[in-house]
Amino acid sequence: MLNIKNLEAKVDNKHILNGLNLDIKPGEVHAIMGPNGSGKSTLANILSGKNGYEIKGEIKYDGQNLSELSTEERAQKGIFLAFQYPLEIPGVNTNVFLRTSLNSVRKARGEKELDTLNFLKLVKEKSSELGINEKFLSRQLNVGFSGGEKKKNEILQMKILQPKLAILDETDSGLDIDALRIVADGVNSYKNKDNAFLIITHYQRLLDYIKPNFIHVLSKGKIVKTGNAELGVELEKTGYANFI
Amino acid sequence: MKNFYDFKVDNIEGLSAQEKEFRNKELDLFNKNGFPNKREEAWKFTDLNTILSKNFANITNDYISLKEKKFELIKEFDHNYLIVLDGILVSNEFKFEDKNKVLIKEYDYKKQISVSNQNSLNLLNNALATGGYNLEISRDYKFKKPLVVYNYFSESIKEKIISYKNSLILNENSELTILNYTDTKTKNNFFVNSFDYLKLKKDSNLKNIFINKDRCNCYFHNYLKSDLEQNTNLDTYILSTGLKFNKMDIEINLNEERAKSSIFSALSLGSEEHQEIKSSINHNFKNCQSYQKIKNVLNDQSRGVYQGKIFVKQEAQKTDAYQLSKALLLNDNSEFDAKPELEIYADDVKCSHGSTSGSIDLNLIHYLKSRGIPEKEAYQMLINGFLSEILEKLPEDNLKKFLVEKIGRQINGY
Ligand SMILES: Nc1ncnc2c1ncn2[C@@H]1O[C@H](COP(=O)(O)OP(=O)(O)O)[C@@H](O)[C@H]1O
Ligand SMILES: [Mg+2]
Repeated sequence: MLNIKNLEAKVDNKHILNGLNLDIKPGEVHAIMGPNGSGKSTLANILSGKNGYEIKGEIKYDGQNLSELSTEERAQKGIFLAFQYPLEIPGVNTNVFLRTSLNSVRKARGEKELDTLNFLKLVKEKSSELGINEKFLSRQLNVGFSGGEKKKNEILQMKILQPKLAILDETDSGLDIDALRIVADGVNSYKNKDNAFLIITHYQRLLDYIKPNFIHVLSKGKIVKTGNAELGVELEKTGYANFI
Repeated sequence: MKNFYDFKVDNIEGLSAQEKEFRNKELDLFNKNGFPNKREEAWKFTDLNTILSKNFANITNDYISLKEKKFELIKEFDHNYLIVLDGILVSNEFKFEDKNKVLIKEYDYKKQISVSNQNSLNLLNNALATGGYNLEISRDYKFKKPLVVYNYFSESIKEKIISYKNSLILNENSELTILNYTDTKTKNNFFVNSFDYLKLKKDSNLKNIFINKDRCNCYFHNYLKSDLEQNTNLDTYILSTGLKFNKMDIEINLNEERAKSSIFSALSLGSEEHQEIKSSINHNFKNCQSYQKIKNVLNDQSRGVYQGKIFVKQEAQKTDAYQLSKALLLNDNSEFDAKPELEIYADDVKCSHGSTSGSIDLNLIHYLKSRGIPEKEAYQMLINGFLSEILEKLPEDNLKKFLVEKIGRQINGY
């Protein structure tokens, strides 16, 4: 589904990614762990199509060169990034945003747009699964939301848009243990053989709930170690020092 | 040097000798300095003389209004209306109201209203104004539906100045919402120089909204003078995107206790449009409130100006005055100038002002796009979001829906 070969990225002449390789197949869950500043968010941002990076190497998504796709086309084709720091957008109503987003994606996929009634039904169902109070949805997007509420809102968007490749950038940071379980349940119930996850995290605790097939350690813009779920437990004990 | 204008009082029919004399005197005063430039206090940022001389060859005041065939009315919400063609009151309809409570007639030029700020365009208006209306609402009468004032302009109007005066009196405890709706599609250039007088008597409440139906090649100057008595409320909404040039010169006198005035503006200026709001809020009495929030979105080559003056008399204690302007510049070629002026002589006063301008946050655009929303729509959402604070304040559900839809179209560039 996703094939990254020798990816390098620079910002303002500063090397951030230095020859990163990663292959993700449908049905897989990959976790990326690594110290602060190792380039995890940069990788996620590049996959989402964010501007401002000088990029070398190759990224293929379903066989297509990712660089040929705009940010919105990537989203329409099923790439979803749950941001590490979801942005506040004053004056934009959360419900209106969700609906515009869903219908843009549906339109691009050649599906019919959802009318208000069916949309509200869908949002109600998905938000109650995540324990999100409906009142939030009539507020301005993320404005005044707590850290945890913003993160839940990202997962809500994921569940509404139904992506094929979901990238979660430190979605677990700032969540209390109950919220963490709800988010993990949200991911687990969405996971199937046709979609894939790339989960960026610092903590083993999320991986106790979402079992990854692979764990990668990222350091200085490179994957320095890949292992199975046990690697996470080891990292939790010893820290990154042994790997970097 | 040949002037680009030629105005004659003799072009106006039916004036008494006395009226002629007054008007000629005003015209002479105007001619001394001509159209304003940056030397005039009210025109600090703009040289109107140059703007007009570039866009007009010879402006005159000798127009003949041709009777238009059919006027197109708004269908989206129930309303009463006045139809004004080239400044002249043509018809009126108050079918939702008790007609005994509404007095409507042509403006009476025998009863001139004095203006505290005699800028050159007011002098010109005194000299040339014809037409206009006089509207008075009886005490205790609250309008059931809004009043739309349709301002039509003939297709044939070209290189003309159109001048008129209107007056509106709200008697005690009356209430009204007006939509001033300018409707012209003409590609011809013309200049409108109007003067409105509003009197709000004790406990009355007026919402006064300005919007245009379409883009047009017209140049507007509108002087709005209001006198507010005790416990009155005046809300002014400026949504008049689409004109080549527009200046609203707003004078508000808070003359008695608990008079309250708000100015809300949401403008999304298209390419090469120029809009100015100049306000003078005079706190002449204690315990009055004024509030101004101006939001401008500026596209390519557009220009926005906000000159907000707050004047607080010595006896106007417990004044609460607020003004804030925010501009969103979509392009390096657009410009926004704001200048607050505070003149405060009382000591127990709450007064705040501020002004910011900036461009669209591309991180927000990225966020929206990363959810599948196309770039153009993402921009529209953010622009709408920027203006929403004002749009939320619009009154009456059906009217509000109509206006918000109109503004949505303006954001998309009509
Ligand atoms: N836009 C930018 N400009 C300059 N430096 C940046 C920019 N974005 C990221 N960096 C730097 O790149 C490195 C990696 O950042 P990031 O990908 O956010 O790390 P992580 O998510 O792993 O903590 C850091 O040193 C960070 O300061
Ligand atoms: Mg990060």
